[in-house]
Amino acid sequence: MYDEQLRRLNRWIGTVLRGAASALELLADLVSGTEDVELHTVVTFRAIVDAVVPETPELDPELGPAHVPGGLAIGLEDFVVTYVDDGFQFGLPYLGPRGNIPLADPIAQILDIAALTLLDQGDATGELDDDRPVSLLAPGEASPRAVRTAAGPFSKLSRRDRLRAIGLLDELELELSQFEGELFEFDGGLVGQLVVGFTEMIYYSEWQGYDEFTQPPSERVHPNDPAAVQSWRQTGYPGFSDGYAALRGYLGDDDGPLGAGDVWTTIDDDQESPVRIVREPGSFRENDYETSDYEEPFPE
Amino acid sequence: MVADDYDVIVVGAGGDGPVAAWKLADAGLSVLVLEAGPFYGNEKWPKPSEEPGGAVSSSVADLSGELLDEQFTTREFEMVNKLLFGPADHERGFWFRKFPGDGAILQCAGVGGTTLHYTGCHPRAYPASIDEQGHWPIDYADLLPYYWEIETMCEVTPAPVTAKEELFFRGAAAAGWPLLHDHNVTEPGYRPQPNAIRQPDPKLHVDAGYDGDFTYPEVQGDTLALGNIAGNPHPRGAPYEEKAKRSSNVSFVPAALATGNVSIRPNAFVTDIRTETPLGDTPSVTGVRFRDTWSGRTERVDAEVVILAAGAIETPRLWLNADLPRNEWVGRGLTIHFGDNVMGLWKADDLEERLGKGTVDQHEGQDIAARFDYPGLGMLQTVGTTPGVGAILGFGASASGFTFQNDPTDAPWDTMGRLAGPELKRLLAGYPRMLQILVVSDDRPHRRNGVTVTPGLADEHGPIPVVNYEPSEGDQKRRDELATIAADILREAGASHVHRSDSPPTALHVHSTMRMGEVLDEACEAHDVDRLFVADHSALSNGVGGANPTNTGQALAARTADKILERYF
Ligand SMILES: Cc1cc2nc3c(=O)[nH]c(=O)nc-3n(C[C@H](O)[C@H](O)[C@H](O)COP(=O)(O)OP(=O)(O)OC[C@H]3O[C@@H](n4cnc5c(N)ncnc54)[C@H](O)[C@@H]3O)c2cc1C
Repeated sequence: MYDEQLRRLNRWIGTVLRGAASALELLADLVSGTEDVELHTVVTFRAIVDAVVPETPELDPELGPAHVPGGLAIGLEDFVVTYVDDGFQFGLPYLGPRGNIPLADPIAQILDIAALTLLDQGDATGELDDDRPVSLLAPGEASPRAVRTAAGPFSKLSRRDRLRAIGLLDELELELSQFEGELFEFDGGLVGQLVVGFTEMIYYSEWQGYDEFTQPPSERVHPNDPAAVQSWRQTGYPGFSDGYAALRGYLGDDDGPLGAGDVWTTIDDDQESPVRIVREPGSFRENDYETSDYEEPFPE
Repeated sequence: MVADDYDVIVVGAGGDGPVAAWKLADAGLSVLVLEAGPFYGNEKWPKPSEEPGGAVSSSVADLSGELLDEQFTTREFEMVNKLLFGPADHERGFWFRKFPGDGAILQCAGVGGTTLHYTGCHPRAYPASIDEQGHWPIDYADLLPYYWEIETMCEVTPAPVTAKEELFFRGAAAAGWPLLHDHNVTEPGYRPQPNAIRQPDPKLHVDAGYDGDFTYPEVQGDTLALGNIAGNPHPRGAPYEEKAKRSSNVSFVPAALATGNVSIRPNAFVTDIRTETPLGDTPSVTGVRFRDTWSGRTERVDAEVVILAAGAIETPRLWLNADLPRNEWVGRGLTIHFGDNVMGLWKADDLEERLGKGTVDQHEGQDIAARFDYPGLGMLQTVGTTPGVGAILGFGASASGFTFQNDPTDAPWDTMGRLAGPELKRLLAGYPRMLQILVVSDDRPHRRNGVTVTPGLADEHGPIPVVNYEPSEGDQKRRDELATIAADILREAGASHVHRSDSPPTALHVHSTMRMGEVLDEACEAHDVDRLFVADHSALSNGVGGANPTNTGQALAARTADKILERYF
């Protein structure tokens, strides 16, 4: 199964790069190992979001109920799929809308490969559990049987093991040979970056506040209300502001031209020349410099 | 319309290209600037991400602060997506580059280039990195007159202190480091950032009780609203040229347009450099070919001199994709200031004691306003971020796996690695009480590191850049030493928890892929192609010691413009 998946993935990537018109067919072929393409991707991206920004009842006693909901509570997985599908382009007009490369399906496949690798290496701390993917869907969203069939191994791992599996991809430069002996290393790290880094960034940004982020920029509206964004409630970020009356002054001491005027506070008073925060900025000194005594702290 | 020929074509309107354009146009030459990304804040392109708009801008009257206010919403996710390297059309994704591991290259497309993202920090190189490390064919002294010119244009001054800088300075002083007053830094110590951001209105002092709007003209200069990475349009309501952050679109582009000799053509991706070889030896440049990123049509323009200023990834890519001689250093010697993040988290009581309030409030003030210099190692700087950018820069990636996979018992930090799950949420719940320090190390140019292209791996502009970066042992040691100093400063400042990311190679500062001395001569003209110059950070011979590179890149571009005038006009 593992080899078969790699082989198909390889063909898909090769075709994307070559810009062949049949790439979409091949993509369908690639993901046909699972019965329901969409469901497999949906479940996998829920499993990602559930591991990266999970629901955390354990934080309630310590931090309060506002810190319990995670990414799934706000539909983050839907947007992450849209984002990775629209996010990169090779400028090939016949490949997806506007030449963007649809990456969500192959990423979901790669994560399954990573999960199998983790299991192969004996590094998973728990067993695959068929009920995990089922629990990621709301009751009635899809039949448990359909979910079990569509779900790949990634979504059956524990949250921590899912993260471990993603971590494997950083080391894994999947070396996929193209035609004529060319080698294209599919960058496994990009997957980790998209599913961890970008998921975190989207979650903690203003994203949730838009009616619809995919609208043209000039039509997007955002309430900029700290209460409107779940993650802002969790970080205490107050929303974007035009400014703050937060100036304390400028740094200076009596030994040079930085800083002048009334002292606001002293930051280091056990010196002969105390360092202070004062009202006026002063300026940097146009000093003579001497480098002949330079020594490399760590010579190459 | 774009004419058929110009005295000079500049490829790329990023940090450095507009400097050269301004100097040459000021001397009376006709200059065309071709920029791959959009032109924000320009009346010729009222909806730059949605419609193709006009053809070219040649007048300073086209610049509009009002449009910039509209387009630069300060919303972090939206703005990062808008600015990152990709076509103007918001429906299309980023231009793809390949980078090893889970690191990334952060660069922008658009007039202003990556200075749209930059935080305005404008220190000089460490003199020893130029005079003692053996990479540069010119002296630090040769750059000094150009630093003065650039610092005047960018209005570089000491950055203001808000709570987060005070906290850092207290820690640095308590750790025993001295305050530095100097422009030309030869010893370790801390100092305010020399920032190309206008100082805040004195009204904004915490003691002044200001409660009015933060808009122009009530408030002039910086408004301490963070957000430089998201483009910083403050103060809102100000004319384009009165925006506080002097990114190159605000500092140099208006000056260039005001000469009346410059045309800027955005949405124009240069795909080929054209040459002729009349004497059968060294080719001489005759012009370029570019592709309109909206229509896909290509056009040809001729010039006496071509200046590549497409940045340290795209300049070598363009060279490699054009039919030009292969020098063994083209694309090689990449330095990225191999970086890291060390974060401190405080208890409210400990902050109260030091700052008179129980929070750091990193979202207030300038993003980066305090620094620590260590010639030979690199630098540290405080970074305030909005939570999303903070999460991806500080927590979303690590070269050593997730925190739960590491045991830092004997390390100077309490946790190390990538954060996700409950650990991430717990830590970010402390956002108001945390401060990140960015570790920026003086990595050295190695030939294995750099940009190559592979024929099969192409987008609409030809084979894409494939980037390799592997730090040396010395690079690792310099970075570790700086991370240790950062942790010490945070502890001395009273942090109760210190976290190190151990970031994978992530390129915020990218330089030295077309090095002066190797690919370029001491005027930054290509050894192997006459009349072809480079004026962006790729021309730097090394990473300028780990100091923020833009002041030096711009100073060198200004010098190159003078050399072009001497040689050819
Ligand atoms: C978050 C962040 C913060 C930063 N903060 C600072 C800071 O405080 N201080 C500092 O010194 N540095 C900072 N930097 C780095 C700084 O912004 C860059 O080093 C600087 O902008 C590089 O200038 P450049 O001219 O070499 O390239 P760029 O500014 O990247 O400009 C290159 C331009 O060329 C265009 N281009 C590319 N290819 C083509 C083509 N083929 N045809 C036409 N146009 C093309 C691009 O669209 C771009 O506009 C920061 C960077 C980031 C990402």
